[in-house]
Amino acid sequence: MWSLELFTQALIAGVVIGVIYALMALGITFIYSIVKMINWSMGEFYMLGSYAQYLIVAYWLGPDLWYVAAILSAATVFFVGWLIEPILIKPMFTGGIERRDDYATVVTIALLLLLRNLATAISGPYQRTPGSNLPGVMLGPLPESGARFAAFLAALAAIALFTFLLKRTWLGLALRATSQSRVGAQTAGVDVLSLDKIAFGIGVGLAGLAGALLAPVFMVYPTDGVVTTTKGFEIIVIGGLGSVPGALIAGVALGVAESLGATFIASAYQNAYGFVLLLLVLALRPSGLFGERLRQA
Amino acid sequence: MHRICRVAAFAAIFLLAGGFGFVPAHAQEPVTIGLVVPLSPPGDPTAGQLIRRGAELALDYYNGKGGVLGGRKLQLSVQDSQGRPEGGVAAYRRVVGEDKAVAVTGFFHSSVNIAANEVAKSMGVPTIGTQTSAADITAKHYEVAFRTHLIDPLRVAAWLEFMQKKGFKRVSMVAETSDYGVGLITETDRQIKEKKLPIELQTLTFDRTSTDLTPQLLQVKAFKPDLLVNVGVGAPMDLMIEQAATLAITPAVPMLVSYDAPIRPQFWQLHPNTGDKLYFIAYYSPKQTLSEIGTWFTKAYEEKYKESPVYSSLNGFGDVAIVAQAVEQAKSTDPKAIIQSLENGKFAFWSSGDVTFPNADGVFWHNFSPPVLILQFQRPGQDWKEAEVAYESGK
Repeated sequence: MWSLELFTQALIAGVVIGVIYALMALGITFIYSIVKMINWSMGEFYMLGSYAQYLIVAYWLGPDLWYVAAILSAATVFFVGWLIEPILIKPMFTGGIERRDDYATVVTIALLLLLRNLATAISGPYQRTPGSNLPGVMLGPLPESGARFAAFLAALAAIALFTFLLKRTWLGLALRATSQSRVGAQTAGVDVLSLDKIAFGIGVGLAGLAGALLAPVFMVYPTDGVVTTTKGFEIIVIGGLGSVPGALIAGVALGVAESLGATFIASAYQNAYGFVLLLLVLALRPSGLFGERLRQA
Repeated sequence: MHRICRVAAFAAIFLLAGGFGFVPAHAQEPVTIGLVVPLSPPGDPTAGQLIRRGAELALDYYNGKGGVLGGRKLQLSVQDSQGRPEGGVAAYRRVVGEDKAVAVTGFFHSSVNIAANEVAKSMGVPTIGTQTSAADITAKHYEVAFRTHLIDPLRVAAWLEFMQKKGFKRVSMVAETSDYGVGLITETDRQIKEKKLPIELQTLTFDRTSTDLTPQLLQVKAFKPDLLVNVGVGAPMDLMIEQAATLAITPAVPMLVSYDAPIRPQFWQLHPNTGDKLYFIAYYSPKQTLSEIGTWFTKAYEEKYKESPVYSSLNGFGDVAIVAQAVEQAKSTDPKAIIQSLENGKFAFWSSGDVTFPNADGVFWHNFSPPVLILQFQRPGQDWKEAEVAYESGK
């Protein structure tokens, strides 16, 4: 059913969803680049952000102040991450643990199960939505919901702000130094362990922001972060682990591949097109589009 | 010495007989009924909770009357299938293998029921599908497989008749890639061809874990249908309602939801602006006549939950009631005897009239189907009990 209008609509829809996916991937890739670990419970921090947004909007601020709620939700998730890091992640560096990757995997999967089950126990398994009063918009030929368009713009703004923080502030400089060499940063007087706490908080805070922004679009329930996390991991492999521009470009590429594939090839395999893209990238550039090859002695 | 021997023999017989009542020791053991329901996504947890509510009240009913088999209480072993076939198989094994359930019910997702039936075939403990409609559940003619829900061919026949009555000529079906979704697409296509109906059908599928259905709905929009059939279950069903409205497909194109999810209490909280004029399949109307136990259940449910029961709860109650009656009629907890009892007996259900499970042909094997209704909301926030009956099977 080819037509230029349908192609344009599918392309725009892919770009919009891709930017939102990228926000999620940014948190994963950022935590990896600083703390050198994969946080498997990112989806649950996304879920915490979505529940926070729901509670703040539904019981306190109302849908008109959704943006204030999103900032508060992201801040709440940042704070939760900031509190959790010294308990669960810090022992990786201070507890004499030899196999850090295994430790991080076990600890974050345990955290995933704990948070997901807590959400089910406290709120029940039901779907909820904070609702949105934003009017729909036309993106060229594509009608788009106000909530999704707002999430798209907010995701772009968050990515820009994050890039500014990394490139133009002392904190960003310290974070970049730590991501290049933890020992080198320590030698220069950077308190790397404190920085880990901030980096973990910022990373999960970005996931929480994605959850808050998407709460009125994809609804709120205990496992709402699963899909977005899967996409996030696909994106960091495509874009290159630790690369911010890579996350954004790979997010858009993934969104467009899924949208065009599902529209013009077969809709049933919507989630598979991303993996095809991932395999292609791995075959041509094993370190991802923007990833750096590591030399091993 | 002889006297001591006699006393010892008497004591041994007394103990073996279980005391003065000569009741066997196991007589006081509760009878376990397995309940395999979706309690977390990607299954439909709301359905799971509603079925569980009904099943628990069935226990209250029978235990309040003294239990079964002369005083044995009923108990549930509840397991979460997550709506996944592998989850359902593990849950079935657990309730049968560890908790010694005499029958397993509660099934909501067809793919879970189909997978569990394969294990049930070898473990021998019967299953009763509570809200599963795929043909294969009973069409395979397994001795252990029973069902009290609307089957696909009847559901499809109903909506095709409805489409004919309304004059819908171009119909889009967007379905999840599960036994339920794909089964409904296949059956609709088959019946359209078999009956030579003047309906042009567009079929699209999506993975159940998908959250963005824009690509599918863009194709629907380009097709310009008269009706959109929403064959999502749980969150995808809700997402399709919202995303179809965003793309300005609905309300210009009416939507038919393939099951009775819109009767749930949270429906209008999720869709305050997009649920209006929606058609949906239902299997129960508060106006229909209920049986004696159905009337008891409705009252007990309203007292306990401060709301009216819906079909999922009614069927959850009815299926546990059927197992309780089958145990009584079999006078045994042996699964083989229970299967015989289910095949040959008559059972009181929540609806009026007895339920039977005849060894009938094809998909009607071991099957009891409720009547099918298509309801339509007339205004936002409308109580489903006041929704207009747009179609009723047999009328």
